[in-house]
Amino acid sequence: MRRREFLALAGAALAAPFAGKASAQVQNWPDKPVKLILPYAPGGGTDLIGRPWAEKLSHSLGQQFIIENRGGAGGMIGTEAAAKAAPDGYTFLLTPNATLSVLPSLRKTPYDPKSFLPVGRVGDFVTGFSMHPAVGPKTFKEMIEYAKVNPGKLSYGSAGLGTATHLRIEMLKYRAGIDILHVPYRGSADALNDHLPNTVQMMNEINTIPHVKAGKLLLLNINNAARHPDFPDVPTLTECGYANSDVPIWYSLFAPAGTAKAIVAKLNAKIIEIANSEEMRDRMRSINTVVPTQTPEEMVAYLEEDTARNVELIKATNMKLE
Amino acid sequence: MELAGLLANLGLGFSVAVSLQNLLWCLAGAVIGTCIGVLPGIGPVATMALLLPVTYLLPAEGALIMLAGIYYGAQYGGSTTAILVNLPGESSSVVTTLDGYQMARQGRAGPALAIAALGSFFAGCVATIAIALAAPPLTRLAQQFTPPDYFSLMTLGLVFAIVLARGSVLKAFGMVFLGMLLGLIGTDVNTGNLRYTFGISDLFDGIGFVPLAMGVFGIAEIIANLTNSERAELASSKVSGLMPTREDMRRSIAPILRGTVLGGLLGILPGGGAILASFSAYTLEKKFSRTPEKFGTGMIEGVAAPESANNAAAQTSFIPMLTLGIPSNAVMAMMIGGMMIHGIVPGPQVMEQRPGLFWGMIVSMWFGNLMLIVLNLPLIGIWVRLLLVPYRLLAIAILFFCCIGVYSLNNSANEVLMIAVFGLFGYLLMKLDFEPAPLLLGFLLGPMMEVYMRRTMLLSRGDPWVFLQRPLSLCFLLLAALLLVFVVLPNVRKARQAAFQE
Repeated sequence: MRRREFLALAGAALAAPFAGKASAQVQNWPDKPVKLILPYAPGGGTDLIGRPWAEKLSHSLGQQFIIENRGGAGGMIGTEAAAKAAPDGYTFLLTPNATLSVLPSLRKTPYDPKSFLPVGRVGDFVTGFSMHPAVGPKTFKEMIEYAKVNPGKLSYGSAGLGTATHLRIEMLKYRAGIDILHVPYRGSADALNDHLPNTVQMMNEINTIPHVKAGKLLLLNINNAARHPDFPDVPTLTECGYANSDVPIWYSLFAPAGTAKAIVAKLNAKIIEIANSEEMRDRMRSINTVVPTQTPEEMVAYLEEDTARNVELIKATNMKLE
Repeated sequence: MELAGLLANLGLGFSVAVSLQNLLWCLAGAVIGTCIGVLPGIGPVATMALLLPVTYLLPAEGALIMLAGIYYGAQYGGSTTAILVNLPGESSSVVTTLDGYQMARQGRAGPALAIAALGSFFAGCVATIAIALAAPPLTRLAQQFTPPDYFSLMTLGLVFAIVLARGSVLKAFGMVFLGMLLGLIGTDVNTGNLRYTFGISDLFDGIGFVPLAMGVFGIAEIIANLTNSERAELASSKVSGLMPTREDMRRSIAPILRGTVLGGLLGILPGGGAILASFSAYTLEKKFSRTPEKFGTGMIEGVAAPESANNAAAQTSFIPMLTLGIPSNAVMAMMIGGMMIHGIVPGPQVMEQRPGLFWGMIVSMWFGNLMLIVLNLPLIGIWVRLLLVPYRLLAIAILFFCCIGVYSLNNSANEVLMIAVFGLFGYLLMKLDFEPAPLLLGFLLGPMMEVYMRRTMLLSRGDPWVFLQRPLSLCFLLLAALLLVFVVLPNVRKARQAAFQE
């Protein structure tokens, strides 16, 4: 590691006098394959969103975008690797907001979220609280009433401590003043396995959507600014009377700090172009994902807002890992 | 009516699977699967992850048929290294090393490999029919399992692990508990506390199964062979007979049948499906055998049963994925990824909305198994000849592939270091006459047991009686208690030790 840092420094020192040449390199970017670090194991949600993007970006920029899955430690290992990568425009991080706007408030992370530059939004998961039909409540309002009358009786399965889906139930409990038992699982598939037979009554994950469509589960609301296109009758949290109570799950591309602004701008423009294509919209919709487009500047503000809301929740509920 | 419907469905499946293109993808999957199964450490998960982007270019049917082929193909290949060089390529072939490797050292690698392939073929065919016939009811059965039932099943599994061990019960206990302790390294699911990680972020998710298994089984064996030239010669040069004798076949039929049924049932359960299946099948055979003391010395039953069981389990683990969209292991998670890439959302609706895909995939599994047996039987001659390579050269090749395999899991160099550490540890265990198999079972089951126990207690709001109130859970616990009494009772133990000394 030390050797790599030394080499990076030496490289920077050597490169300084050739600033003119460097801008030419920015002009020709990308002229070799680009690495996308995904801080989770293959097969999960990040992979699901990352693979189509790697393919589309390779196609439209004429260089291979290669995915490197660096899973481990709740995303910290891969994120740390990306933070330490050379900011030359050939390594990027594709991550959900958890690694940057949630984890650093919960535990000591080996990276600083400020050591990344936002590049582009690549997809938000659209789902909501699901309820097992055997319990009784059919709507969001009925669920809140049920929870108020029967405190601690409902249980909720999350993908793990400190994940956005854990924060979602804590946020609801905090804003609505209700008591629901939180049961952490190792990943959302495990939780779904207990949700379908009503061992846990509630979840908030995209893998529940097919089961809602099959009539095995009820969808009470949508955790997103707009409704889900496949469920036009299901209201958003704001429409249910809980504004600013969503904990969004949004995936984006980040560059190590120091990456040339021109490269970031070029990639951002490409991402927006792809996001607006009919084909990408359909593919993302099939995995219950929408892609809002933002400039890097807008993303900085959005990340700050997201972090502030999570910090408020974590402080208010005294949530801690370690 | 039911039968007519089934025949119509299978007919539809045939029409999809038998197209030249899909047969080719099936063959490609089977060949790739066999190769990665043979190469230690390179597992189906990493391979499927690498191939996922490629599958986007194929039609959905072809892509899924190929991905499925990789998985069950790897089960065929995985036993090869377990038998030849004591390296379990897959977690499910750990028990195959016990008797398979002993057979190889007696020069009977050929029959061991052949029985493993034949047993796998039979189990694969039966499990394919099971999927076609019983996918929906079997899934409902699996859904009856609640956290306390899982906990009790795991408890039973651990008691099996102790019964399974040869020699000292005390040492087996020790190994199981050491395995559980190693399994506890990492982040606690319920509190987020870090346990035994010493601040090293590579340990936050715990130790991987592959580096541990590869170290204590494979690397330790290589060290032992290299430090003892006589042993190395024994491991490599003696080869007699490629095909099983009539006697071998006769002895293997019942274990293959039992292994298939047990594996098929356990495969549907989420979590340790294939691994639990192979361990349980081995233990069951020991119970049925008239000469249980000979297990671990090269009994063909000890290869036939677990190899059939793990293939049956690999196949039936598709059931919850196909009917519910629930991945029972990491490989099924990759399959779901593969379906999502093609815009197919796995779940109960796949069977109705894409019947061609669903039934085509099932029928292709039968073709795949047929291709694998045709592919694998002639290969046995080549694999066995591999043992004629001087061991000092073979050892380097094995080490080389181990390192590549481990590195390819998480792109992490630290895991390569880990196999070295566990290799030395495994050598120490070997010298002190401790068996590594109970260690691995404790390592796998211990943390799962903890998670299920604490989840049960959370959901019951702290009431421990649920373990006895659920009929399934009660049955498993009673069985475990009974087994434990048998092992621990002084006179039974004496009889057992006497039996082992024979």
